[in-house]
Amino acid sequence: METREAHVKVWDMPVRLFHWLLVLLFAFMFFSGKSGSDWMDWHMRSGYAILALLLFRIVWGFAGSTYARFSNFLAGPSACLRFARKLLARAPAAHAGHNPLGGWMVLALLLALLFQAGTGLFANDDLLSEGPLATLVSKATSDQLSVFHSWNFNLLLLLAAVHIVAVLYHAVFMKENLVGAMFTGVKRLPADVAGSVVARFASPWSALVLFAVAAFAVYLIVKRPF
Amino acid sequence: MRTKLLATAVMVAALGGASLEAMAQAKPDVLVKQRQAVMTLQGKYLGPIGGMLKGNIPYNADVVALNATFLENLARMPWDGFDASTKGEKSKAKAETFTDTAKFKAAAETLEAETAKLGAVARAKNEAGVRAAFGGVAKACGACHDAYREK
Repeated sequence: METREAHVKVWDMPVRLFHWLLVLLFAFMFFSGKSGSDWMDWHMRSGYAILALLLFRIVWGFAGSTYARFSNFLAGPSACLRFARKLLARAPAAHAGHNPLGGWMVLALLLALLFQAGTGLFANDDLLSEGPLATLVSKATSDQLSVFHSWNFNLLLLLAAVHIVAVLYHAVFMKENLVGAMFTGVKRLPADVAGSVVARFASPWSALVLFAVAAFAVYLIVKRPF
Repeated sequence: MRTKLLATAVMVAALGGASLEAMAQAKPDVLVKQRQAVMTLQGKYLGPIGGMLKGNIPYNADVVALNATFLENLARMPWDGFDASTKGEKSKAKAETFTDTAKFKAAAETLEAETAKLGAVARAKNEAGVRAAFGGVAKACGACHDAYREK
């Protein structure tokens, strides 16, 4: 069955940059976190960058472009169920933005990453490094948060794996090129879905300002100049 | 007289043996506490050298020499605390500590060798040497933690 299709821009530049910077930094965090004390200083710096990205993305989820907003992609349970059935039946189920399950995966990843960054700030490696806020808590508390930091990393690996498998599933069985869309911002959608798109794009400059504010907030947390 | 002397000798030997035995056979939970105490002190003397090399605190060759010497001695202390009797005690030691004993011993000897190198250059007030040797010590610590310590 041949359906008419249209190319529609859905992902704004800030969302795409956020996504791919996060992928690169996450890979580096994996490597540096497992490579001992030589890499710990860079592991921490990279963690601050991720925290700034996360804070930005959360604000962008309320103030950003249409398809960047949480209100756009956090669907109710019945919508999730309906989508899951279509997915299993491999019936057409294209969404302009995140699909209902993908939307919850975004939130799960953001929260798990935020927890990871938060515990990292208080963690220690029992060697030469500790997070910038570890001095605020007892050694026992810092140790406990370090344990959570390493457990939660396994959760992140699991979430990332599910995320990647889902994207591959869409590519193979649903013929949806989600990876390409995350690079270009443009999705190829069935005409009816494309026709329903009403996207308002926030200015990328406002994203830059928000990111600068987020980075400054992280600086204040890490350096505590007051 | 002779028998009395002999009896005394036997008694002294028995008591002496018993008390030696009692000292050698520290209770498992005490062994764990002792080896953890060694690790705590290693942290105490390692940290400042690390801080100096990172430039967080000014380099002080005397402190480095003293700390490195302590580390060299401390490096030899924890190992008999990983006695098989401590296997069931609450600690972060992984089961492998008591099964891969040959590898664990090799890891221990690495730390002893690396801290000895650090001690020598530190006492010679050789800052460049300290910089080079310190990495080896940190690696030895980390390698053993990764392999034998629960997160």
